[in-house]
Amino acid sequence: MNGFADSPLLFRNVDLGPSGLRVLAEKAERARTRLIKFLSEIGGWHAGSSLSSLNIVAALYGYWVPAGRALGVERLVVISKGHMAPALYVWLSIEGLIGEEELETFATPWSRLQSHPEAARLRGLVVSSSGSLGQGLSIANGIALAAKIDGVRREVAVLLGDGELDEGQVWEAAATASAKGLDNVIAVIDRNMLQHTGPTEEVKPKEPLAAKWEAFGWHAVEAPNDAAAIAAALDALSKLRGRPKALIVRR
Amino acid sequence: MGVIVRPNGSYRRALAEALIEAGRRSRDVVVLDADTPKSTGTLAFAREFPERFVNVGISEQDLVAMAAGMAIAGKIPVAAAFAMFLMRAWEQVRNTIARDGLNVKLVGTHAGLSDFMDGASHQALEDVALMRTLPRFTVLAPADARATRELVLEAILSHRGPVYIRLGRDNAPVIYSEGEEFPIGGSKVLEDAVDVAVFSYGPMLGVAAEAVRILRRQDIHAGLVDVYSIKPLDKDTIARQSAKASLVVTVEDHRVHGGLGSAVAEVLAETTPKRILRIGVADAFGASARSYEQLLEYMDLTPERIASRIRGELR
Repeated sequence: MNGFADSPLLFRNVDLGPSGLRVLAEKAERARTRLIKFLSEIGGWHAGSSLSSLNIVAALYGYWVPAGRALGVERLVVISKGHMAPALYVWLSIEGLIGEEELETFATPWSRLQSHPEAARLRGLVVSSSGSLGQGLSIANGIALAAKIDGVRREVAVLLGDGELDEGQVWEAAATASAKGLDNVIAVIDRNMLQHTGPTEEVKPKEPLAAKWEAFGWHAVEAPNDAAAIAAALDALSKLRGRPKALIVRR
Repeated sequence: MGVIVRPNGSYRRALAEALIEAGRRSRDVVVLDADTPKSTGTLAFAREFPERFVNVGISEQDLVAMAAGMAIAGKIPVAAAFAMFLMRAWEQVRNTIARDGLNVKLVGTHAGLSDFMDGASHQALEDVALMRTLPRFTVLAPADARATRELVLEAILSHRGPVYIRLGRDNAPVIYSEGEEFPIGGSKVLEDAVDVAVFSYGPMLGVAAEAVRILRRQDIHAGLVDVYSIKPLDKDTIARQSAKASLVVTVEDHRVHGGLGSAVAEVLAETTPKRILRIGVADAFGASARSYEQLLEYMDLTPERIASRIRGELR
């Protein structure tokens, strides 16, 4: 894996179960305060999308990925909705993986912290570059299928926006994951009910969303937008076999 | 030159053989196709290594991004599709494969006018322009079956980084003998330029060779260079061969703008400005035809027409 075997994400220690989830919730709360300040510093760039993704980022990066190491499973996160980068960078700074002062360099040309994450600038922290919507699930499928071919225990989560689901490629990939039996893929959907122009249900309705994923042969569940609840849902989903899994995180 | 022009070679058969050999030599090689394995030639690999073959269905965007994921996971993915429909995923190629410099090998088959029967919708005349503009990408266009085998193996096994390989269908001339080498970034001078320097690639190299022979009988001495490596381009050879001639000609089954015609014009404008005749397809689309030769005739790209256009330009 391109630089992920020694990713600093993997070497965080987390307690599995309730105590780990309590620590996570407390850290996510601190991150929220920091993110709100950061968003005001950067002129509110994709503020709504970053705020609704923060708990998902916390659950994935702060719990699910390091927990995988304890369980002997390689876990990776593909970010498909790249405009949530402020949430990612604030989380990484809370975790001490990037410096607090580095946040000030956000979106400057020389910075590692590009507005949409660039994998080459954040080796071991970002799997693939994003910014163009609709591609992440296909990428996650490729990584997951490679693991099946190699007989490696690996799970891949992919963070998708709900507006992003307008992209046809997401559904090409949804059908592929199910056709190839990729039960090591978890699509986490940030169901913040908003897309660029306005409410998702006014622009292009997404509901019934869980039923759509189910119809594509996926196992779909929902969770409230709460770091501990998302992490617990991820724990439960990781144990399910046979089908790819969608976690819809409700606003 | 010993060139056999009549298309009796098959790019896809050569691709099939090369993929199997690559698969034998490296366990990391995986092949992906978008429901066209019978047409592209990946079917043979699928039969030999079913566990390393993925048919993603008719979804080229998914095909390309999935290949990207495979490369991230350390595989050497080869994604094959009709060149035209692979270009449907150009944005995925640009934003994911090129931007992250992923080790993905894209093979566009049925390129140019090779897919005569299927008509304008299937005839990719823009892929070289689209691909040669991308940072980090290598763009290769082998002329015959031997070159195809060598370049496919080199791209997969020796070269690390994204590659686009442009192939025709069953319209390959026979140009090279066994043992010829095709280093990436190189070119092949088949005939030194005298009055005219002709640059070509892919199946049109055979057509251009025939045109050069017609000109020879009329006492016009034209050189011929196979520019199989479109990117990186062998600028030195292009400049050196052009310097000897009074007219530079490019011949391709691609748009003259953005294709080799543009690439050669760029080199000459920066080195030794020369009069240049760009032969290919301009502001037109192809058409369905009953044979490759019939389509070349319709597109005004037969050896006779090419020779007469060059002769006209010399007057």
